[in-house]
Amino acid sequence: MANFILRKAEPKDVSDILRLIKELAKFEEMEDQVILTEKDLLEDGFGDHPFYHCILAEVPKQQQSADGHVIIGFAMYYFTYDPWIGKLLYLEDFYVMKEFRGFGIGSEILKKLSQTAVRTRCSSMHFIVAEWNKSSIEFYKRRGASDLSLEEGWRLFKIDKQNLTANTNKKR
Amino acid sequence: MANFNLRKAEPKDVPDILRLIKELAKYEEMEDQVKLTEKDLLEDGFGNHPFYHCVIADVPAEHRCSLTDYSVIGFAMYYFTYDPWIGKLLYLEDFYVMKEYRGFGIGSEILKTLSDTAVKNRCSSMHFIVAESNKASIDFYKRRGASDLSLQEGWRLFRIDKENLLKMSAEE
Repeated sequence: MANFILRKAEPKDVSDILRLIKELAKFEEMEDQVILTEKDLLEDGFGDHPFYHCILAEVPKQQQSADGHVIIGFAMYYFTYDPWIGKLLYLEDFYVMKEFRGFGIGSEILKKLSQTAVRTRCSSMHFIVAEWNKSSIEFYKRRGASDLSLEEGWRLFKIDKQNLTANTNKKR
Repeated sequence: MANFNLRKAEPKDVPDILRLIKELAKYEEMEDQVKLTEKDLLEDGFGNHPFYHCVIADVPAEHRCSLTDYSVIGFAMYYFTYDPWIGKLLYLEDFYVMKEYRGFGIGSEILKTLSDTAVKNRCSSMHFIVAESNKASIDFYKRRGASDLSLQEGWRLFRIDKENLLKMSAEE
């Protein structure tokens, strides 16, 4: 069984955070879509106003991964706001390296996130899951998650930078 | 045509923000779901760390409709989120113009202001959810370049509510 600890990310962790973001993107076959840099992660996560928070899973050196890493899992989250009930915790990314799965690390991370949400007086935790990701959907449903897209018919929309800029330039 | 002014919300606007949140909730037949109070909105929006931001639309006294004494007649509530591939995003949470003030381009101007805010803050996109039944809103956003990520990429929004968060927090 893997010994591991969970801790808050620090500035020194940004290269591991980026590595894990890219690994998760690779799993979704989207690795070339990651244009974020370590510099962005440092400024955005550890400046005056953090735009995200990270929990990291770390193993002792003797149990490091095959490619020599001790940071072997992470969750990235931030706070959002529901106009009916106030603060929510939004889980953005959640990943444990393949060789470290099955030891309860994911469960412990989710437990930690739940404690964070309750402590900061959040009413719920929200997150999105791809409809084809059956194993993740089952993982979350076992922990009481409900599919708001199914129950309430919510669809996620995007206006990308090109269209935002076009909107900005429109005459009144 | 209605003369109107767009500005950043101030602490004094909190009663109007709550009024408009409730009006929008009433339109969705969910008025009794609004648990938030003026005190919550004040602490959460105007403390050390704002959890939301608001753009307010107001009209001068001489342009108010006879049906209403209000000068604040529309709002948009937004906050910043974080995409692990591209960084900061602007998330549009609530967006509403009182019925008697629609058709004057106020909604378009609000969206233009939000687009400007997003670009100024180096956001890669604006995200928001729309109920699949809300055809008028979907068309409004599509005319401004919005794409349906739920349709294109199969994302589903999930929630773990407080009861289940507490359960997980307490698990051995």
